[in-house]
Amino acid sequence: MKKLAAILALVLALSLAIAPAYAEDPFGKYDPPITVHFVRDTDDTLDANFFSQHPDKTMTDNLWTDLYRDELGIIVEYDWIVKGGDEYDQKLNIALATGDIPEFVSLTALQVKQLAEAGMIQPLDEVYEKYAAPLTKEMLMCTGTAPFDAVTFDGKLYALPEVDSTLMLADVIWIRVDWLEKLGLEIPKTMDDLMNVMEAFVNADFDGNGVKDTIGMGISKDLWAGLFGLRGFFNAFGAFPTIWHEDAEGNLVYGSTTPETKTALAKLNEMFQKGYIDPEFGVKTGGKVAESTTADKCGILYGAQWNSIYPLQSSYDLTGANWQAIPIVSATGAPVKAQTEIGTVGWVVARHDVEHPEALVKLFNMFLEKNWGETNENGVYYAPLDSESIWKLSPVVPTYPDKNIDAFLALEEARATGDTSKVTGEAYSILKKLEAFESGSEDGFAMWGWERIYGANGAYGVLADYQAAGLLQDEMFVGAPTETMTERMTTLEAMQDEVFTKIILGEAPVDDFDKFVEDFYKLGGAEITAEVNEWYQSVK
Amino acid sequence: MVESKHPANIAFTIINYIVTGFLGLICLIPLIHVFAISLSSSAAATGGLVTLWPVDFTLESYAYVARRAAFWKSMVVSVQRVIIGVGLNMFFCIMCAYPLSKAKDQFRCRSIYAWYFFITMLISGGLIPLYMVIRETGLLGTIWALVIPGAVPVYNIVLLLNFFRQTPRELEEAAIVDGASQWTILWRIFVPTSTAALATVGLYSTVYHWNDWFSGILYLKLPEQYPLQSYLRSVVIDMKLNNMGAQDWQALALVSDKTVKCAQIFLAALPILCVYPFLQNYFVKGMVLGSVKG
Repeated sequence: MKKLAAILALVLALSLAIAPAYAEDPFGKYDPPITVHFVRDTDDTLDANFFSQHPDKTMTDNLWTDLYRDELGIIVEYDWIVKGGDEYDQKLNIALATGDIPEFVSLTALQVKQLAEAGMIQPLDEVYEKYAAPLTKEMLMCTGTAPFDAVTFDGKLYALPEVDSTLMLADVIWIRVDWLEKLGLEIPKTMDDLMNVMEAFVNADFDGNGVKDTIGMGISKDLWAGLFGLRGFFNAFGAFPTIWHEDAEGNLVYGSTTPETKTALAKLNEMFQKGYIDPEFGVKTGGKVAESTTADKCGILYGAQWNSIYPLQSSYDLTGANWQAIPIVSATGAPVKAQTEIGTVGWVVARHDVEHPEALVKLFNMFLEKNWGETNENGVYYAPLDSESIWKLSPVVPTYPDKNIDAFLALEEARATGDTSKVTGEAYSILKKLEAFESGSEDGFAMWGWERIYGANGAYGVLADYQAAGLLQDEMFVGAPTETMTERMTTLEAMQDEVFTKIILGEAPVDDFDKFVEDFYKLGGAEITAEVNEWYQSVK
Repeated sequence: MVESKHPANIAFTIINYIVTGFLGLICLIPLIHVFAISLSSSAAATGGLVTLWPVDFTLESYAYVARRAAFWKSMVVSVQRVIIGVGLNMFFCIMCAYPLSKAKDQFRCRSIYAWYFFITMLISGGLIPLYMVIRETGLLGTIWALVIPGAVPVYNIVLLLNFFRQTPRELEEAAIVDGASQWTILWRIFVPTSTAALATVGLYSTVYHWNDWFSGILYLKLPEQYPLQSYLRSVVIDMKLNNMGAQDWQALALVSDKTVKCAQIFLAALPILCVYPFLQNYFVKGMVLGSVKG
């Protein structure tokens, strides 16, 4: 008996001695190392920017996996890797359907909900509380609790959000300022100004072919895309289509069904009749519409901050066009709010039988710390001068949501003071790109498109103003998709897009909008609205 | 055939040429368009300025593709797949079609076996059960997952067995009198006299294996293992612009280069284009055979 007690005491002492090595230390190292299995997608940016220059490196042997192995004792393996987002979704769906759930995997909120209900994944709130570094907690909460609310069921957190900026999804207007100059026009400040400019552009025949073939405003068949979309246009009227926002009584309402949306649609129809809108937009993809911007046939579009990189860069290359991002204009005289969406790119879950779920939290800690923490080596792990996308080599990619706006503000300050010594991290690598462009170089990242985003009149300046003035309308429903939503929303959205397109093209009278609203509520919209508000009351 | 000078016949010939010529152009023009884009400058292609003749002629996109290891790796995988896949297809096709082509007095349970194969054309297990079978048999992530599930091409078997049936029975009987076994009869008499049909089914499986992209994405574990069409799909597909995550737009700028896409599409279509003319002759013959009893 004594012997047993002695052994027990020894075991206890030993376990106490070992335990602190990794218990509850956000950056504690596993010894011996553990292996974690992920699945992932990949894309051409990694091939072009990293693997082509480092042919001996692989997805499981590179600077990020080395870091995780050496610092955390976590060896990253992939069960499978697939190229392309669509393909990833297909493959993942099959894997989930056949019960082939990876140990750790990034999912949509809906998938998280389904797996949580099926008991296939484990709650992570305890390990998150214990192991998340203060920096991790701060950065993941940067855009509010929304990313967590979406995957919290019965009070338990089932996934860690790979957060990203919501701000950068807001629309701006991209406009040909060189055309404005040629015509002696001012930058439009109101919807009426914008219409005047459009009228002038359409009649000016800048491509000089003698045919009246200039489009006033580029729109694609994806009405709500971040390129050739319509969100920013609707916002001008105080309409926020496709997102849920508060109505006058404080209840959530689906933005596509409000009277403001109808007003905006009527305006679009009016523009179509004046010949500002391509009659074939309903069948054109963004890439197709890009042909008209490149060929001097379109000088105004609504889109996100990145549009200057694609597709406007080729417009600059081909004809020396000069585009600039300007704030979306108001049609009502009231300050206009730009709508955004939840910026989280994925939610990472741990399978129910995973032994070390806390490893996931540690990977999050390390990723955020190395890129944006006190001890960051951003220039090595995130944005090296000669390359992009290095960060994608990590299996988890939570992004510090304010990183781009911070970088822009740092650059603005440097421009104001002339002192670039304080520009560090990612801002520094952007600064180098801007300097390369100004020097007239044409190599690599010396692109006009970068200057248009981060330069003195850059798109981020517009976004910074939105943020400073609080002129943003966030998506207010951020819970997991409700039951009726899962069943009906896709159909309802298809109906909405069809009706809206018809109204714009004059194939249906504007008053058909009222019928759409009626149909929307009849075909499940009423249940969805009730469910959404039930959720809203529960988190308020 | 004797050429008739009757005006109606002449008119028929002219209309014939016009209609087939028109159909031919419909097939040819997209290919020429793609080829023209691949030889144009990137900006001209994005601007939609290219129709059937290159604008700002450049070989840059081909130079870029030549440097893309992933493209050539996929090309090698595709060639491997075609060799293994078509080899297996042809072997099983001949081995199944031969006995099934026999009359009832030679092969008593023939119709039961015929149904055994035929039923798989009507009913299939569906995607998810198929995936599970492939996973449980350990084929997942290997090239065998692309060739074994479709190794017995029933449609081709039906084509071939109809062709075998037309081989005169006297030939077979004469061979038996000379002491030939069934094995010898198959490989020395039936196969050599069926080149037209074999070329046809061979072409069918070649085209199938060359063009199939979905199974590559589904069953393989790494993009490096992709056959050419799976690789191409990930290059060519339009990205969804409405819910672009994080910094997808960088990828978009990179892959949106139309000229490079078109160069790759053209190069991927080339091998099949080269195979077609050589098999064309047999192909037409093989298709109509079995439809007319002589």
